[in-house]
Amino acid sequence: MESKVSEADFSLKKSDLSFFFEPQSVAVIGSLREGYFGGYVVVKTLLNAGFTGKIYPVNPSYQEVLGLKVYPSIKEIPEKIDLALIMINRRSVPNVMRECATKGIKAVIVVADGFAERDEEGAKLQNEIVKIAREARIRIIGPNTAGIVNSANGLMPDPYEPGYEKVKPGTVAICAQTGMINPQAFPYADLHYGVSKICDYGNKCDIDECDMLEYLESDPATKVITMYLESVRDGRRFLEISRRVTAKKPVLILKSGRTKEGAKVSASHTGALAVDDQIFSAACKQAGVIRLEKFREFFELPKIFSLQPLPKGNRLGIVTFTGGVGVLAIDEAAKYGLSVARLSPKIAKKLNAIFPGLGKTVVDIGPPMAVNNYMTIYSDILKTVLEDDHMDCLFNVIWTSPFKEFVEEYLKFYGEMQGNYQKTIATWIYGPSIPLVNELSSGLEDLGFPVFSDLEMAIKALGIAYQYSDRKKGEA
Amino acid sequence: MMGKFSIFDQIKKEGRSILTEFESKKLLKQVGIPVVQTRLARTKKEAVLQSQRIGFPVVLKIVSPDVIHKSDSGGVKLDLNNVTEVKTAYSEMIKTISQQYPDATLHGVSVQKMARPGTEVIVGTSKDPQFGPVIMFGLGGIFVEVLKDVSFRIVPVSQRDAQEMIKEIKGYPLLQGVRGKESSDIPALVEMILKISNLVEEYPQIKELELNPIFAYRDGALAVDARIILE
Repeated sequence: MESKVSEADFSLKKSDLSFFFEPQSVAVIGSLREGYFGGYVVVKTLLNAGFTGKIYPVNPSYQEVLGLKVYPSIKEIPEKIDLALIMINRRSVPNVMRECATKGIKAVIVVADGFAERDEEGAKLQNEIVKIAREARIRIIGPNTAGIVNSANGLMPDPYEPGYEKVKPGTVAICAQTGMINPQAFPYADLHYGVSKICDYGNKCDIDECDMLEYLESDPATKVITMYLESVRDGRRFLEISRRVTAKKPVLILKSGRTKEGAKVSASHTGALAVDDQIFSAACKQAGVIRLEKFREFFELPKIFSLQPLPKGNRLGIVTFTGGVGVLAIDEAAKYGLSVARLSPKIAKKLNAIFPGLGKTVVDIGPPMAVNNYMTIYSDILKTVLEDDHMDCLFNVIWTSPFKEFVEEYLKFYGEMQGNYQKTIATWIYGPSIPLVNELSSGLEDLGFPVFSDLEMAIKALGIAYQYSDRKKGEA
Repeated sequence: MMGKFSIFDQIKKEGRSILTEFESKKLLKQVGIPVVQTRLARTKKEAVLQSQRIGFPVVLKIVSPDVIHKSDSGGVKLDLNNVTEVKTAYSEMIKTISQQYPDATLHGVSVQKMARPGTEVIVGTSKDPQFGPVIMFGLGGIFVEVLKDVSFRIVPVSQRDAQEMIKEIKGYPLLQGVRGKESSDIPALVEMILKISNLVEEYPQIKELELNPIFAYRDGALAVDARIILE
C-alpha cells in the first residue's frame, strides 16, 4: 500500500473545517504581554466568550496567564490540540508550523502578517508554510488574518480587544478577505440579528472563499452567507460551488477591485490576482449569487433572509405616513422587478371603511392618524393590509412620533404580530428623535422585524429576497 | 468530428495559430452555425465560376493566414454585381495584397454571397485566467467598439444564461425592433450562443473566437465574418 498523501485524498476533506470552528482544544502561540493586541487578548476574548474547549497558551517566557498554565512550546502540551493560532514574527512561523505538524495539529490560523501581501521574502515564507502544511495535512486560515468566530461555542479568538464579551448567536455567516468584519471592528453584541460564523481568510494561502462556502453549505446554524472578496482563487470552482450553495441558502457577495485602480491596490493588500469585474459579475449571475454594491449592504441586507420568510412573488405593498415616500419606494422597487401590489377589492373596501380613501395602492396612514386614536387605527390598518393575498411583501414605514408612549405601543403591537403573518416585511423608521428611532429599531429587530437604514436599503432587501426566491422557484 | 480535428491538426502542422476566415467558417458550419455561403477560389477563373454559382451580388475576400486586417489592406471587395466586376476586383485585390504583404501565403480568395443587411450583433469568446472560457454577446459596430455594450457569461452557458445575456445589453430594444426596423430572431441568437458555448467547451484549444458581424433577421441569423485563434 502506498502511504503517500495524494492531492485527491487531500481535497476529499477540503470542506471539513470542523477543527477550526468546533475545536475541543486551542493552542495560542504568541505574545502574552498584557495589552490591546496579541496572544494575551486572544486568551482573554476566548475566556470572556465562554469558550467551551480547552485553552493552551504557548510562550517560553511565561508560566501563567489569566489563570491558565502557559506551555514553553507546543510539544510540551500533554493533550491533543485541534486548533493552533500563530501570532509571532513571520520568520518564526515555519518552525512553529513544523512543531504543529509534529504535534499532529490539523487546523492552524496564522494571524501573523508580512507574507505574500508584503514582499518577496513574505511570499517565500508563505510558500514554505503551505508546503509544510500540505505534507502534514494541516489546513491553514490566513496568514494575515484577524481569525474566526463560532458564536455557538464561544470560539472568539480575537487578537484585538473587542471591548465586549460575546457575539450574538444567529443565522448569518460573515466571511471576508479583511479583519473589518471581526469582533473588534463591528458591534456584534449590539446587533439585533445574530451571527453564526465569522471568518477572515486573509491571504487565503489554503482555505479560501470556496472552502468556506462548502463548509457553510452544510452548517446547520447558517441560513445566509455574506462575503467580502478582493479576489477569487479558482474561478471555475467558485462558480460550481456557489451555484450549488445558492440552491440551499442565499449568498451575498461584496467584491472590491471593480475599478482598475481598486484592483491594483487589492493585489498589494492580500497578494492576490485581480479578477475582471465583468467576468465576476457574469459568474455571480450564473451562480445565483446576490452581488452587493456597498459596504453598508454587507451588514444590513442579510437581515431580510435571516429574520423574514422569502416572498412568494413580486407584489409589493406599501404602508407609509407620507405620499412622497411611497412614490420614491415605487421608483426604487422597479429596479429589482418588484411591482406595486393592487389591493384586493375586499381589502380595499375594508380599509376604506376604516378611513375614507385609505384603500389605495400606497396605503397612506398619515391622514387617518391625524384625526383618530392613533394606535388603534394603526393596528387595524396594518393587520388589514397584511391579510391581503394580492401582496407578497411589504415596505413598512413607521414614524416614531416624538413620544415614548408611541414607541412602546408600537412594540406592543409588533410583539402581538410576531409570527402571525406570511409576508416579507422590510421596515424603515423615521422621526424627530434619534434615541426614539434607535429604540424602536432595536426593539423591532429583537422581535424579528428587520429595520433598514433608509428606504432604498429596505426596498433593495425586498428586491433581492424576491429575486432569490424567484430563481429558486425556477430551479425547483 | 474528423473534419473538425483535421482542421486543427493541419493548422498546427503549418505552425499557425490563426484560422483563416474561410477555415473558421467551415468549422462553424460543421457545428451547425449558419454562416454566409462561402467558396474558395484559387484563380480569377474560379472566382468567376464560384460567383456565378452563388449568384450575384457577391463579396470577394482575400484568404491568407498572414493578412489579419483584410478590409484595411484592400483584401475585401463588396457588392460585386457581375462577372466584369468580379474580374476587376480579383485583379486589384491580388495586386494590392502582393504589394503590401510580399511574403504572405495566399490561399486564394473567398467568394461569398453578399448578405442581406440585418441588425449587426457579435458573439465572441476568450479565456479568462481565473474562469477559463467566457462568452460575450453585443450589438455590432459602434455599440461594441465605443459603447462597450456587451454582456458576458462563463462557458458553458445554459439556455437561460443565453437569453439573459441578450436581454441584458442596453441596446436590447434594437433587437426587439424599433422605429420600423424589423425585430430580430432572438431564439436564433440564443441557439447560436449555445452552439458557440458548446464548441469552445468541447475544444479547449480554441483561445479566441469571434463572429463579427452576425446579421440578425426577423427569421434567423447569419454569421458574415468569423475568426478563430488557437492556443
